[in-house]
Amino acid sequence: MKNNALQPNKAVKPNSEVSWFDPFTRTMLITMFVLLFAIFASAKYMDAHNMTGVGTDDTVNQMAAVVSHQQPHPFINLPGDAQVGAFSVANFFVGMIVGHNWQKLFPEPKPEE
Amino acid sequence: MHIEDGILSPQACAAWYGVTAVFIIPGIREIKRRVADNLSYKPFLAMAGVAVFVISAMHLPVPVSGSCSHPVGTPLAAIVVGPFATVVISTIVLFFQAILLGHGGITTIGANTFSMGIVGAFAGYFCWKLIRAVKGPLWLAAGVAGFIGDVATYLTSSFELALSLHGHVPLLQQWLIFFLGYGPTQLPLAIAEAVFTAAVLRVMVNRRPDLLPGVITNSKAKREAAK
Repeated sequence: MKNNALQPNKAVKPNSEVSWFDPFTRTMLITMFVLLFAIFASAKYMDAHNMTGVGTDDTVNQMAAVVSHQQPHPFINLPGDAQVGAFSVANFFVGMIVGHNWQKLFPEPKPEE
Repeated sequence: MHIEDGILSPQACAAWYGVTAVFIIPGIREIKRRVADNLSYKPFLAMAGVAVFVISAMHLPVPVSGSCSHPVGTPLAAIVVGPFATVVISTIVLFFQAILLGHGGITTIGANTFSMGIVGAFAGYFCWKLIRAVKGPLWLAAGVAGFIGDVATYLTSSFELALSLHGHVPLLQQWLIFFLGYGPTQLPLAIAEAVFTAAVLRVMVNRRPDLLPGVITNSKAKREAAK
């Protein structure tokens, strides 16, 4: 029995309509690498100058805790890598939803037949 | 601007919940009205909601101050989907950030919504409307909206903390102390938010000005945006 998933889609002309790096993918990848490089360079600079890189939310919450003489007690706290995991999962699905709706609203113009 | 549980008093938390509720009711009405008027409003609302969710949890390092912070995304959302609708999506965003990511707090959703979803969104939106009313260019109006909305959010968070915790210290002084905790990191990020807001709006308007009837209001402006 043939595995249809491996067959080329006849609606798409080979080597004519699907490219590895279409303009959208290219722009997104370049933007992502520029941002990641900026984050890496900033983090490297902060590391070299013994800066902690802690979030301002945490800093100000700690300042407030000192003023109010009581520690913040989050009802929900994700320890260690669990927070990275939660953020990654959330951001993956956010990306999918933005992409899906972006395609609905701003589709690529189709070339004239 | 994500104030955690246990910092504000229960009375303050209840008061901020009450203030937020006042804005949520017209927000739901705005969503219902615009969904009926414009078929493309629902996808815009979905995009704006998830974009605010991720932007307001995206911690970026700022080497000038040696700490990290995040933009807010609500000025852009207010321009695209309306300021009252932005209050609704901000409340939902902050609820999910609190219960799924442990970011912010459950008792402080009202206070956090007031700073990010109400003051941030409305400050940005008023700047946008003002500059567009005097025929300012789209990129300038969006950029100023992004910058002011971002800074206003953090000024408000500092104010909320100072109002509850200033004790014998003058309110203004305590407000400044808290804002100095945010300010040096937030100002560079506010500039980044200005660039981001202007760039995203520019791309949207260049592609489909017809989908943003509240943003581009007349044919002359449409031609200008297409330039």
